[in-house]
Formats: sequence, structure tokens, C-alpha cells
Amino acid sequence: MAPTGIALLALMVATFAWSGYRFSRLLRPLTKGAAENRFDQPLRRAWGVVTNVGGHTRLLQIRYSGILHLMIFSGFVVLLTAVVQEFGKGLVPGFSLALIGGNNWIALLQDIFDVLVLVGLAMAAYNRYVRRPARFQGSNERDATIILALIFLVVASMLLHNSFRVAEGHDPSAAWRPVSSALAGLVGLVGVHGAKAAPYSHVFYWTHVLAILAFLAYIPTSKHLHVFVGIPNIYFRDLAPRGTLPAADLSQPSVGLKQIYQMGWKQMLDLYACTECGRCQAVCPAFAAGQPLSPKLLIMDLRDHLLEQEGIGSHRKGVGGVQLLGDAIKDDTLWACTTCRACMQVCPLHIEHVPKIVDMRRQLVEQGRMEPRLQDTLASLAQYGNSFNQSERMRSKWTKELGFTIKDARKEPVDVLWFVGDFASYDPRVQRLTQTVARVMNRAGVDFGILYEGERNSGNDVRRVGEEGLFEMLAQHNIETLAKCDFRRIMTTDPHSLNAIGQEYPRLGGNYPVLHYTQLLLELLEKGALKPTRGQEMVATYHDPCYLGRYNNGFEAPRRIMELLGVRVHEMPRCRENSFCCGAGGGRIWMDDRGVKERPSENRIREAVSLGDAGYFVVACPKDVVMYTAAVQSTGMEGRIQVMDVIELVEAALEPEVAAVAVA
Amino acid sequence: MHIAVILKQVPDLVEEVEVDASGAGIDRDSVKWKLNEFDDHALEQAVLIKESTGGEVTALALDGDGVDQLLYAALARGADRALKVPTSDERTDAPRIAAALAPVLREMAPDLVLTGVQAADDLHGQLGPILATSLDWPHVSVVSGVEVSGAAVQVQQEYSGGRMATLEVQLPAVLGVQAATRPPRYVPISRLRQIMASAQIGEAAAAGEAAALGSTVTRLAPPAQGAGAQMWEGKPEEIAQQLLDVLRERGLLGA
Repeated sequence: MAPTGIALLALMVATFAWSGYRFSRLLRPLTKGAAENRFDQPLRRAWGVVTNVGGHTRLLQIRYSGILHLMIFSGFVVLLTAVVQEFGKGLVPGFSLALIGGNNWIALLQDIFDVLVLVGLAMAAYNRYVRRPARFQGSNERDATIILALIFLVVASMLLHNSFRVAEGHDPSAAWRPVSSALAGLVGLVGVHGAKAAPYSHVFYWTHVLAILAFLAYIPTSKHLHVFVGIPNIYFRDLAPRGTLPAADLSQPSVGLKQIYQMGWKQMLDLYACTECGRCQAVCPAFAAGQPLSPKLLIMDLRDHLLEQEGIGSHRKGVGGVQLLGDAIKDDTLWACTTCRACMQVCPLHIEHVPKIVDMRRQLVEQGRMEPRLQDTLASLAQYGNSFNQSERMRSKWTKELGFTIKDARKEPVDVLWFVGDFASYDPRVQRLTQTVARVMNRAGVDFGILYEGERNSGNDVRRVGEEGLFEMLAQHNIETLAKCDFRRIMTTDPHSLNAIGQEYPRLGGNYPVLHYTQLLLELLEKGALKPTRGQEMVATYHDPCYLGRYNNGFEAPRRIMELLGVRVHEMPRCRENSFCCGAGGGRIWMDDRGVKERPSENRIREAVSLGDAGYFVVACPKDVVMYTAAVQSTGMEGRIQVMDVIELVEAALEPEVAAVAVA
Repeated sequence: MHIAVILKQVPDLVEEVEVDASGAGIDRDSVKWKLNEFDDHALEQAVLIKESTGGEVTALALDGDGVDQLLYAALARGADRALKVPTSDERTDAPRIAAALAPVLREMAPDLVLTGVQAADDLHGQLGPILATSLDWPHVSVVSGVEVSGAAVQVQQEYSGGRMATLEVQLPAVLGVQAATRPPRYVPISRLRQIMASAQIGEAAAAGEAAALGSTVTRLAPPAQGAGAQMWEGKPEEIAQQLLDVLRERGLLGA
């Protein structure tokens, strides 16, 4: 072997050893992490890798960034052939990929992708240093710059090496390297050709090789670790139903995440996968409201804390006994989350932010670290089964003014068992809508009943607050009550109840067909049980509640209803999967909004008003009625937009009831 | 330091309280019960003292419906032992509670007895003073904040007009707590359930002691309804004028 070959080999061995050692340090905590089963459904998992990595599905949601990433990524794949070729010939003189096309089509691809990567890099630099999207705020710019520079060095040196080789005059692939040939022509003009080109070729060869080795050595503690971790992280993504949180073992003396090593191995892998791209931050309602939560910074802080505990890289071990909760991650950060899932929906790496937040909240609840209002609400839920500090008997008070009696589903069989929910039952601002739902169902001849004082809060948000034991208590009460009832299916007013009953109760033994009231209304309209004779000619926009839309895929029913009623729906830019949370979810409605600069609900109302022609803001969740009615007032938009529940639209479209006509 | 905390259930006012057939008591069957709010603070204060200076906390309550639940919650909150004291009397006014508890406490000989300063059915806050008298121990009421210093405790006592006094009380003593140093903590349901599955509630031997002479309720009735409020309607200016007139009429404004 030539001396240069020996030098290269030594460098490679040293780099692999160093890099391998650093990787093994990174992987070590994963072996200590809690068990998580992510090995099922291999085909579905693999297909997700194909669409997410191959198809760039999530990355392309931000077109500019998606395209530049695709250019650099595909370049990486193609240029791997070049890496093999360059290192191969460095070690084994005469090594070549010629047999499989190294001198023709592979050479052509390399040349083309060299240019594509360079264009991609230029776009990335323009994006990062000129356009400066807000989502990068808080990311490590130095790291990003080093990575961009290294990639540039790798690719530019390779292109120049190839160009000078062509200039030397005996490159068998010259005819297939249009870009290199053109550059060779250029340097030829200043007299660098033949033997004169050889030193340059050497210099760029070694630049290329060293840049690649530097890249490899640098990567383990860089955000570019996703080059290695990204694919496994997507493969091992969470395939459980979206609305089902990981269980907590309540038989243990302590519940929730107290220190980082209690995390599951996949939860740790998530931390390494983060590229600090900030797409999560850009869609986070808490961040937009100026609260101390950015899903991106949360993941970065967890990662830094883990590295600190492990003493990896520049992170020194055990700095001053830093605690996970309170030090690395602040209580207020965890309490700011609405669990709306927008972050998880956009993360190109499928990082699971919400389960981590809830798991840490569980520990805060155990230690009693929560604000007084939330504590009072939990106490109310434990005592009375509702968040309103009212007696169970008051739950059905709204039925008294109806003029007809709703069946008691505990006493007689019904077709539809209506799980009304706390806000729809107790909140005076929502009760009139609950009564409207009852009247419309009554007119449509639906055989329905309610649980009266037998109903308890579904526990959806209790679970998300982190009070796992209380959630189980409430859920078990409801499941026991439902077990004694004879019904065909459950309808909920509240999307949060829909989620709990549909997605959380099965784990506790409660399996029921459950639908949202918009879904039942659509059914009634489609089969003609409700006849909308008075067209609602108006322009409205529709807000997708997180727990109806993103969590339970209930996008179509409300829109179909509006279409059937003649309402023209002008969609907001953030709709369907990308809907913007009202700010009430995950128990936020039980906390005060101290420190909030602009409430998410106000931000949303401004978005709706900016459409220009939408006079109505249609909602399908009792909490939304409360949140947005308040937001319309606080933004002073009363004359410009009006909050309306889907049920109001439906009732307005029906013929006035005979009794009402007689009175008139 | 051994701290005894006396807990008591009071009717939960989220439900309408009704007078029973005798006309001298509330209808106990229609009422929901909950821990007296001030006792909640007494318990919290006891646990805070234990956490800062060590010791043990015993929660005591007169036996009755729902008392187990109450005592389990106290254990989950940080009490070390729970004890229910039998009683043959249904009426649980302050003199009777004190009479039932005094012999138990005399035998237990704690360093400190904490109880709520008052309760919905003891608005005069008599339990602490009567108990202290029976035990012949010093007593301080309306306490917010207790700190241990050697064989005594320093307590904050609140007076009207926002004045506070710091008193030193020799132990053993009885304190009527108005507010703990920190608001009562939350107990996760999972911990409560674990406690209920594993912990034991002790039962004191019936000692029985003649109650000091208390008062007897002869008649109980909801307050008579007043004439009600007068509702004003009209433009804001008119309403403001009406308000001004009324205030002047009653001499609440200068001429």
C-alpha cells in the first residue's frame, strides 16, 4: 500500500474509533431507558419511513425548506457512491466503480447532484441568514453554520477534485461529467491542464476526504445527528391511536417522570433526532401566546440535560445536581401546554412532545406542584365529578326548561346515549346550546337519553393534566354507570369526552361506538330526519377543535352539515390538521393565563376576521363557544364576526316549531 | 415532636341543607359531608412542622359516617397515624367533641394539638378553648403560621385591623389554626387509593367524660327572606342618577 494509502487508513481508523466511541456514549442511556414496544407492525413502520424520508411528506409542508432539504438529502444519497469511490481508490489503488457504471451514469449523477446540493446549500444559507424565519429562534446557529460549511466543503472539494482530474486529461468518466468538464475548461483557460492540474486534484482530494472525516467526527453531538437517528426515529414512531396517552403504572409508589432515566428508550431517541428546525415552535399556541413553552426548546433542554447527566461532549457531568423538574425543565413550561398536538403533527422526525410533557406533569401533580386554581378544580372533580364545584344534582338542571322530558338512560333503553359533558351541562353560557341540541334531536325523533347525575367528567383533560388516578376514578365511575345502561351508541357534545370515551376508555374495559354530535346531525340530515328548509346563505369560517379534528379525524361532518345548509365555508389558512388550538385544552381552561401576551383564541379570531368576508365563526365544541365568545369581545371584533355553534345553524335552518308559530 | 390534629366533617354547602323532622337539626341523610376547611389548614400545618423539624402526626376524628375516608385522606396528606374516637352522642357540638377527645389526648400526651379555629357548626370557635381547659394546657386561637423553637412554639395570631402578634406558647398546647403557612396540598388519587389499600385506621377505647355544659338547639330554620333587591332598568345615565339619588337620600354622600 502506498504511504498515502496508509495515512488515509490511519485517519479513517482514528475517526471511526473516535466517532464510534462517541456514538456508543450516546447509545448507552438508551439501554437504561424504560421498555417501550415499538417493534410491532414492521410493514406499516417501514412504509412510514418511505413516505416521510423518501417522499419528504412533512418536510414539504414548508415548501421552500422542503425542497432545499430534498436537494441536499438526495445529493447525500447519490454522493455516497462518490464517498465509496474516493475512499476506495485511496486505500486500494485502481479501485473503481467502473463495472457498475462509475464512469458513465454514476459519474453523470454525481456531477448533477454536486450542483443540486450546492444550490440547496445556497438556499439553506439564504433561508437561515437572510430570511431568518422565527422558527429558528432559540436554535443553535453556530452548529447549523458548521454543518452547512462542512457539507459545502465536502461537495465543493469533490466537484473541484473531479474538475482537475478531467483537466489532467486522462479521466475515463470525463465525457459523463458535464459540470466538471466545464470547470476543467475554465481552469484550462488560465493554463492549468495536464500535469499542472495534478497537484490541485490532490489538494481537493484530501480536502474532500478530510471534510468527510471531520463531518463524521463532529456529528454525534450536533443537531445533524438526525442523519443517523432520523430513519430509526421515524421507524419506531408511535403507532398507538392518537388520543391514547401511554399508561402510568399506579401501583408504583411514584408516578411520572422524575428523572430523565425513567424515560423510555424511544423517548430518549427523540431527543437525539431533533434538528432544531422549529416547525413545532411555529405552530405551538403556547409559544405564540408568549408563554414559556417552545416544544423545540423543550426537546433541546431535555437533550442537553441527558447529555449533561452522561457527561457527553461539552456537557460536563452532573453540574451541581441539576434536577430534571424545576431546573432543566421549568414547571411553568410544562403547565403551558394545551396538548393540542400541533407540534407532533408537523415534526418531520415524529418526535413525541405531548406524552413527555404529560409524563412530567404526572410527577408535578404527585408533588402537588400546581397553581391553586388547578388544584381547586382537581379537588372539585374528585369531590363532585365536575370541574364547576357544583353538586351532581345540578348537572341536569338545564333540562328543566325544555318543555319535554329527556329519558333517563339508566332507567330505560335508548338508541343514543348522550354524554353531555361538564361545560355543556354546567356552564350558563353553553346551556342554551345544549338545550338546542336536545330540541333538535327531539324534533328529529331520535330515541335518546342522558345519565343525569350519574355522569362524571370524562377525565380526558384530567389525564392530560397528569392526575392519572383521578382520571381512572372518573372513567371507572362512568364505565360502571354505562355498564348498567341499555343503548346502541354514545353521542358526546364535547370533543374531549369523545376522545376519552373512544380512545382512553377501551384500556379500562369500556368499549362503545361513540360519535360526536356533528356526526349524528349529519346522519339525521342525510337520511331526511331533519329537513333544512331555510337556507343559511352566509359566509362563515369553521374552527376545527383539536380533539375532534387532529385527534379523532372529525373534519368532514361539520363541513358537510354547513354545505347542506347552504353555508359557504371560507377556510382559515390554519385549518383541518393544521388547526390552531383555542388555548383551552390539556387542562389549560382550569389555569389562569398570567403571562399570556396574546391569547391563542384572540390570535385565532384575528385570523378569521382577516379573511375579510366571514361573518360567522362556526365551532363544534362547548369550550370553543366559551373561549371564542370571550375572544371576540376582548379583541373588539363584535361587529365583525359572531361565534356560532353548528347546532345553532341547524336549528335556524329548520322550519320554526308549530308552537312557536302559534305564539307569534 | 408529636402533633395531634383534630379533624371534623361539616355539611358541604353545594347541596341545599334541609331541616330535619325534629325541627332542631339538619337532615343528615340529604347532606354531603366534607372536611372542615380550617381543619384542613390545621392538618397542613402539622405536616409542614413535621417536614421541617421531624416528628409524627396523628389525625383524630370522632367516629361516624365517612370518617374512614377523611382519615385515609389525612394519611395520604402526610399524617403518620389515624385514630377514630367512638362516640355515642349524635350531636357533635364543641363541648361534646372536647369531652370525647380529652381523655384520649391525655393518654396520648402529644406535644401539640392543632385544630381548625372554627367550623360551620362552631362559628364561635369553642373546640380549642374547651379542650385546652379540660387538658389544662395553654391555648391560642386564630393562628396562622406555627414555628417550633425548643420546648415552645412561636405562633402568629391575627387581630382585626390587619395587626399580627407573634406569641410564644409553652408545650404542650392547643392551637386553633386559621391558616397554614402554605395552602393545603393536593393529594393525588393514586396515593389515596394506595393508602386505602394498605394503611390501618386505629380506634381509641371509649373513655367517655361528662360534657361541659353546652348549648342546646331548640329550633333550626333557614333565614327569613328579606324584601329582595330592587332591580333598576333603563339607560346607564338614568341608572347612575337613581344610584346617586339613593346614596344622597341615605346620607352616604356629602351635600
